[in-house]
Amino acid sequence: MARLSVPTTARLPSSLPVETSNNAVVKLLNRLSRPSLLSMVLDWLDPTNQSLCPPLLQHRDDDEDDDLYPLASSLEELRDIYSDMQQRKGSKREVVDRIVEGDWRNGVTLYQLAMADIQYLYDHPGSLKWTAYKIQRLKTPSSEDGAEGPQKPDKECLAIPRFHPSTFVQNLQAEVLPDVKAHYNLDRPEGLPLWLLRIFIVDSPYNTGLAVSNRTGERAATSFDASRTVYIAFPDAAPHVYLSNSQSTGATTTGESKSLRALIVEGIPKAMSRPRERYALRPAGLATRNLAELLHAKGAGRTNAAGGGWSIYAAENQWTDSPLNPVLPTPPLSDEDATEDLAGGAREKRPFSTKTTNDKYQQEAKRARLVAQARFGDSAKADDGKGIERVDVLVEDPFTVTDERRSGGGVEDVEDDNSSQQRKRAHGRRSGVDLAFERAQDGDDDDDGGNARDWKPRVRLTFHGSHVFAGIRQLVEAGIVDGERMPGWMTGEEGVTIGAVRHGRIRGHKGSGL
Amino acid sequence: MSSRSRDESPDLSTADQLDDEIASLRAQVESLKKELKIQTSTLMVSEPTRKLLQDRSKKRTVNSLESGPVAELLKKSDEQVAHQQQCLYRSCASITSLKIRDPDPNAVDGGNVLGLRFEVMSKARFVRPYYIMLNRPYPNSRHLRVHRHTVPPCVPLAGLAARHLPAPKPNKGGGGDAEDDEGGELQHQQDLPRFARALRRELVRYQNRIGIIGDLQKVVGSNNGQAGERDADAAIIRDISPADAEAKQISVEWSDGKAGRLIIDDDGRIIKMAVQGEHGRDRGAVRDLIGGNMRIEELLGQLEGT
Repeated sequence: MARLSVPTTARLPSSLPVETSNNAVVKLLNRLSRPSLLSMVLDWLDPTNQSLCPPLLQHRDDDEDDDLYPLASSLEELRDIYSDMQQRKGSKREVVDRIVEGDWRNGVTLYQLAMADIQYLYDHPGSLKWTAYKIQRLKTPSSEDGAEGPQKPDKECLAIPRFHPSTFVQNLQAEVLPDVKAHYNLDRPEGLPLWLLRIFIVDSPYNTGLAVSNRTGERAATSFDASRTVYIAFPDAAPHVYLSNSQSTGATTTGESKSLRALIVEGIPKAMSRPRERYALRPAGLATRNLAELLHAKGAGRTNAAGGGWSIYAAENQWTDSPLNPVLPTPPLSDEDATEDLAGGAREKRPFSTKTTNDKYQQEAKRARLVAQARFGDSAKADDGKGIERVDVLVEDPFTVTDERRSGGGVEDVEDDNSSQQRKRAHGRRSGVDLAFERAQDGDDDDDGGNARDWKPRVRLTFHGSHVFAGIRQLVEAGIVDGERMPGWMTGEEGVTIGAVRHGRIRGHKGSGL
Repeated sequence: MSSRSRDESPDLSTADQLDDEIASLRAQVESLKKELKIQTSTLMVSEPTRKLLQDRSKKRTVNSLESGPVAELLKKSDEQVAHQQQCLYRSCASITSLKIRDPDPNAVDGGNVLGLRFEVMSKARFVRPYYIMLNRPYPNSRHLRVHRHTVPPCVPLAGLAARHLPAPKPNKGGGGDAEDDEGGELQHQQDLPRFARALRRELVRYQNRIGIIGDLQKVVGSNNGQAGERDADAAIIRDISPADAEAKQISVEWSDGKAGRLIIDDDGRIIKMAVQGEHGRDRGAVRDLIGGNMRIEELLGQLEGT
């Protein structure tokens, strides 16, 4: 530990040791399973990592034989000990105790803690909730006055924002307030095309051991316990950023963690911007625990604006679509067939009669499957690992009561364009949760002033589950949800998890991803 | 891997052999089926076959009204002819349009969607086409809007759409923006052909950049393979990879720890390069690599030569 602690604006160094007596350290280590803990320790013992996580080794002159965990004399010896533990069975506690009271009794470094935390994230990929933000280029103000006013997005810009990890971290550090110290750790998860930046924040003006020490007397409030961790993920080759919710080791209020998040949302665009090149973050309306889904809907590929049934156009290896392929694209669902089938089906009268023969039932089932295939394409399969666990939808359409629907006759269009012109906007009470809804509403208020006769209840739908859209697909396949009349947002093709529905469509986004 | 090699025994190897044989036979069946399909499609569109079918179907219709297998075959043949014509257009024109129906019952404009299909070639084959789906969401206006697309985010589709397919003015006759009307008329004109051309240009350039970086990677990989035989003193390029989304920045790594950044423009012209060595900037390495080359493709020959 440095002897002098001077307030500074520098970041926390990776090699800063944290006392193992700290509860947070033991808690972080205890979260891991024994195998991943051991493999991580062996990583720490790698010769290249010695500057960042040096274990306590025995020197020749001192000998403490009464020690519970006698110190090893060399790295190799230590590595053998932990490899042995890997071979045999045992408890997790044994390993944690050995780390905390034995080989790293003088303290584990922030780097080691970051590794432990990230390892936990890899072991439990669903432990964090990610929110997607779009990086948007702002117009360079043309005059002095313009610089003061609200910034407008530059819609005609052709440049794509670029992320350079080390420059970004440097710039972000410049944005962090001086009474807060942060430790950054960049990591590249295996199998996911993104960079993961872990930001560990401590309220302290110092960047020495004082910042993470427990024994600062009355200044205990600035201790390690009030630290918070936030992850930022930067997908490769995509103008998006995913931000995790913040975790804290100690007790913090929700307001505090929200303000931290707001701080980071403010800081990221500033760190990405350069002179005459400004960026802002815009919420993309997608929040999920599943990084694979985020990469699918807001990633680098072709699938960003072609979800649901449109995914057949984006699917990479599904069918050979080369113009040099002389073989006819095979039904059932090559592009024309799929939509034609559906168009015909929409006008077809659906038999509601109860005395369905077995044959008829099978036909129905097959038809439902086909419709599901047409509406969902190859997306929303239960086993595709792209599950969204929560979807919030606010329906703003007026409640249409048509006699035809009551009598249960033919399939009617839910609404036609004329009547939808007369809808008026609901001026209901807005709850705090609906901030995102409000934002969507601000998008296009082109047809205010309408018909007071329309009854517009405020309907909010929330879908919960391990894979919401796969569940809806299964309902369609089972014939419970009518696949032809089902609105488009139920297929997940908009790529949002929160949105307001107007005229049967998600407002603001319109799915184009522009 | 290690556990598998341990398990290997003579008994298993015969089973493996059988498995391999089955797999190869299956592959053979697949390829034969594929060949059969191709032969069928060729036969179906050939002139004599079609003539034969047409003659026979005429006879049939004279004799009876039933549609037999001949009519079915003729229908298939017609489909095949149409498909081949479509393929011909697609491979020659590179931008083709198609009509799509939006399956969403609430879709705007009755679900009519105009699809644009962009064929891009890379490494002497057609890559999976890029699609743009346009619809007409604006009331009382025939203006188009990008509805769905399969263009990767590193192609500035949004910017191009804002330039060439601007939205119509929100409210007509609004007193406030009267002065905007002069320039506004021009600005709100949509130009679909121009949009399609500009987008295709971007797509092709992007694909070309990706392709050339892939080629460079291949050359570097093969150079690395031979490096063991040659003297280890000379630092060779160990890795080349695209460093940004648009593949305009290329990071180059040497075997002795030097790292460089090569910047090219949209068309693959070299703009600049910087190499950071152990002792600051290494201009010699830049000279050695770039020399007098103007384009990224020319590096390929140079790397192959070394």
